[in-house]
Amino acid sequence: MLEILQNNWLLFLVGQYPHGPIGGLAMTLFMASISLALCFPFAIGLALARLSPYRWLRLPATAIVHTVRGLPLIMFIFWTYFFSPLVIGRAVGGVETLVIALVIYEAAYLSEIIRAGIEGLPKGQVEAATSLGLRYWPTTIKVVLPQALHNMLPSMVSQFVSTIKETSLGYVISAHELTFAAAQVNNVLLTQPFEVYGILALTYFALCFALTSLARFIERRISGDRGGTPGVTIAA
Amino acid sequence: MIRFENVDKWFGTLQVLADVSGEVRRGEVKVLVGPSGSGKSTLIRTVTRLEKIQSGRVSVDGADVAARGLDINRLRQRIGFVFQAYNLFPHLTALGNITLGLTKLRGLSKAAARERAMEELARVGLTGKAHEMPGLLSGGQRQRVAIARSLAMDPEVMLFDEPTSALDPEMVGEVLAAMKRLAAGGMTMICVTHEVGFAREVADEIWFMQAGRVIERGRPAELGDKATHPRLGAFLRKVEQSLGS
Ligand SMILES: Nc1ncnc2c1ncn2[C@@H]1O[C@H](COP(=O)(O)OP(=O)(O)OP(=O)(O)O)[C@@H](O)[C@H]1O
Ligand SMILES: [Mg+2]
Repeated sequence: MLEILQNNWLLFLVGQYPHGPIGGLAMTLFMASISLALCFPFAIGLALARLSPYRWLRLPATAIVHTVRGLPLIMFIFWTYFFSPLVIGRAVGGVETLVIALVIYEAAYLSEIIRAGIEGLPKGQVEAATSLGLRYWPTTIKVVLPQALHNMLPSMVSQFVSTIKETSLGYVISAHELTFAAAQVNNVLLTQPFEVYGILALTYFALCFALTSLARFIERRISGDRGGTPGVTIAA
Repeated sequence: MIRFENVDKWFGTLQVLADVSGEVRRGEVKVLVGPSGSGKSTLIRTVTRLEKIQSGRVSVDGADVAARGLDINRLRQRIGFVFQAYNLFPHLTALGNITLGLTKLRGLSKAAARERAMEELARVGLTGKAHEMPGLLSGGQRQRVAIARSLAMDPEVMLFDEPTSALDPEMVGEVLAAMKRLAAGGMTMICVTHEVGFAREVADEIWFMQAGRVIERGRPAELGDKATHPRLGAFLRKVEQSLGS
């Protein structure tokens, strides 16, 4: 196992870069981060729409969230893979495909986290802002979201962990990420799949375990520093 | 200035305000007392439409607060509301709690808002706590920041909903002192409170609510008169005894 790692660590870490496209762990982290960052505005929009007093906003948002959550991620990957070339008019790479699919998929999940964060705020917060005379948007931007997002930080880290694991599905559309790198190594060595995929598993585990621990740490910090309002973690 | 006319309010099938009428004139201090669940909070919350009513009329300076054309946010800026649970914004400093409305609603620059907020903090004796987060303040200090936050908007009326009920006894005095200063300065106030001493000292009139109705009203001086105010007097004596004050 060590020998495999010694000979292939660069491939695991950054793929074929600088001789080919960047890949490996670097690409996995990049895709997970960029997806989560890009889906953020959509997630906030969906969460606010679901909590809206207006039916014409609430119903479509609710429908979108339920639909997305009711389908496996691989569906979105296939759809993006086969449909986006038709829409855009050119072939779309594996990485872009995966990021688009992840943004749609994660937006639905993240919106539920944000919604829970907003609903978890004491009613008095909005009432106090309202009583000052603040309208919906200033109240939302200055009072509601900063607190909701802060409280939901642990859940967002957990969501990042799920996203990291989900990027491994990029393998099926040849997105050059960590699992793809492992498969390449395996194809070269041919005889040591246990070891190769063992390394892969350990890498994912170490990364995700570290992040999950971070989430727990943040959660303790949050429930400490705001006088007891606990950060609610939604299991990823 | 504030007028309630035959106000009815239901939560579902539960009637919490029943035919409430009354008037608060400019500069007056009314104190609302009554058993838990009698509708005191609900009544003052109707003034800024935190609660909608089903029938009757609540008006401020003659303007119906339920009117469609009314700019409710403008009205809310004119009416300060202090909550039992303070409801400070925990992610902002004491100063930030006060400057938020000033910059967002009054259009003040950051510097001007800070200056104005510091004035209000000084008025409630908390200059030294300006940069403290609410979580690190005592209950009494939090409530004084909440009062300062309302006052910074230059309200014409202040509504207090049991502002001292969540406080440890030793902190009640500092909050009541701030309220007394306000009353002495001529502020129009409606206070839900069971602080009998405060009521006696500053109230122009005490309203006694029970089961959604204002069933007795009296000036503090008349409270000893058991003939005219039997239930209010009895209630206040019971409150006084239970608080040992
Ligand atoms: N949002 C709500 N939904 C349903 N019922 C409510 C709601 N708010 C208050 N009530 C009910 O309305 C009644 C009056 O409540 P209100 O809070 O006005 O009483 P209160 O006199 O302020 O009592 P307390 O001294 O306990 O604060 C109570 O029976 C209460 O349970
Ligand atoms: Mg109440």
